[in-house]
Amino acid sequence: MSAREGGAPPGFLGAALLVAKKDFAIEGRTRESLAATVLFALIVLVVFAFSFDLDLIRRLGTSKIVPGMLWVTLAFSAIVGFNRSYAMERARDAMTALALAPVDRGAIILGKTIANFGMLVVLEAVVIPLTGIFFDLDLVSVALPLGGVVLLHSLGLAELGTVFGAVVSRLGRGEAFLATLLLPAATPLFLSAVHCTGTIFEGGSLAADSKWLLVTAGLDVLYFLVAWLIADAILEE
Amino acid sequence: MRQRVSQLYAALLAAGAILLAWALYYVFLVAPEERVMGAVQKIFYFHVPIAMVTFLSVFILLAGSAGYLWTRAAIWDHLAIAACEVGLVFCTLVLVTGPIWAKPAWGVWWTWEAKLTTTLILWLLLSGCLLARRYAATPEQGARVGSVLGIVAALDVPVIYKAVDWWRGQHPIVFGPGLADPLTPEMHVALRIAMVAILVLYLVLLIARMRLASIEDRVAVLEENAGRSR
Repeated sequence: MSAREGGAPPGFLGAALLVAKKDFAIEGRTRESLAATVLFALIVLVVFAFSFDLDLIRRLGTSKIVPGMLWVTLAFSAIVGFNRSYAMERARDAMTALALAPVDRGAIILGKTIANFGMLVVLEAVVIPLTGIFFDLDLVSVALPLGGVVLLHSLGLAELGTVFGAVVSRLGRGEAFLATLLLPAATPLFLSAVHCTGTIFEGGSLAADSKWLLVTAGLDVLYFLVAWLIADAILEE
Repeated sequence: MRQRVSQLYAALLAAGAILLAWALYYVFLVAPEERVMGAVQKIFYFHVPIAMVTFLSVFILLAGSAGYLWTRAAIWDHLAIAACEVGLVFCTLVLVTGPIWAKPAWGVWWTWEAKLTTTLILWLLLSGCLLARRYAATPEQGARVGSVLGIVAALDVPVIYKAVDWWRGQHPIVFGPGLADPLTPEMHVALRIAMVAILVLYLVLLIARMRLASIEDRVAVLEENAGRSR
């Protein structure tokens, strides 16, 4: 970043990548956010395992129960992550400095979205294989479609989390309020994610779920457009 | 002009009162009792218009929120506040009148069907929006945060409806292509009167809330000035 000193401000994508790079750099040095979210996800998974033991899950059908558990776990851990992402901007009022930067505020939102998306992907890379091990599911053979579905839905979740996280952080409210705002708004993503993941676990073809995937892709675009349009209002003091 | 607007508002208020009384009279004394469900079906005449007005409120919330972020004029924010609050009241009424009918008709208070679930989620979204405004440090921050959340919530509602509809279905569809009209002419008249009555009631409350919001703004300015001169 020092190379930019005194130079012209970066363009839209450049600025977005800089913001994301900053978040990744902080995360790389502290590993705070990842530790918090992964640990939290583990605890939720263990609580699920206590609530429904493996015998019961097998009787009810692993492929029917586990997708729900997996996405509840991911959604709640993601909320912990989104909060941390803005908690570090609140420290010494870095958020104001960010908002004052001479770049498009849409780029800052995009940068935070990329960083949050990256955080989600790393979280998922740990949690999903663990879910497979805990609940005795063969995930290796379905890795490709599962990965695609997870990435598609995580993008929408990261976009919503970035917008709502900024709002909640401005209001100075904690994780519970972010969950209150984010989870109802994420209903379509959540339903679609659970449905598509279930299809994959059952060994079905995703072609039958093309309408869900299309809607989710549409939502990914819609949420980004809305966030970009109202970026000024989101980041204002 | 201010006075004329007040007179118009008074006229709307009077019209609302008369229409509501007429709707009650027509629904309970003129419209025939439904053969299977009996008196319970009467709630339909209020439930359906209230639900329609609730979803109308979502569009008004979207318009108010987007208008505020575009122009930053207080009147748009007053519209958004009013649509959010009055919409929440009507949404609550939908969620109360629905189960009263559902228990005798379906045998359950609640079912996870598209219209019910969407209404419940809409209730949560509107509550979140109001809470966020309450939490804001300044009125400007409240207006901005309320608008951001209002826009996302309003755009989300149709998608939520479609998603839950694919997930499940069971709500009675009374009107629709290819369905025989189950209502007698008197029932249609009753429904129409109730619809107009509820719409006027909604507009009366919406305007009252907008005026309250503008008075609140003026009080805030006066208090600030008084504090400065002291």
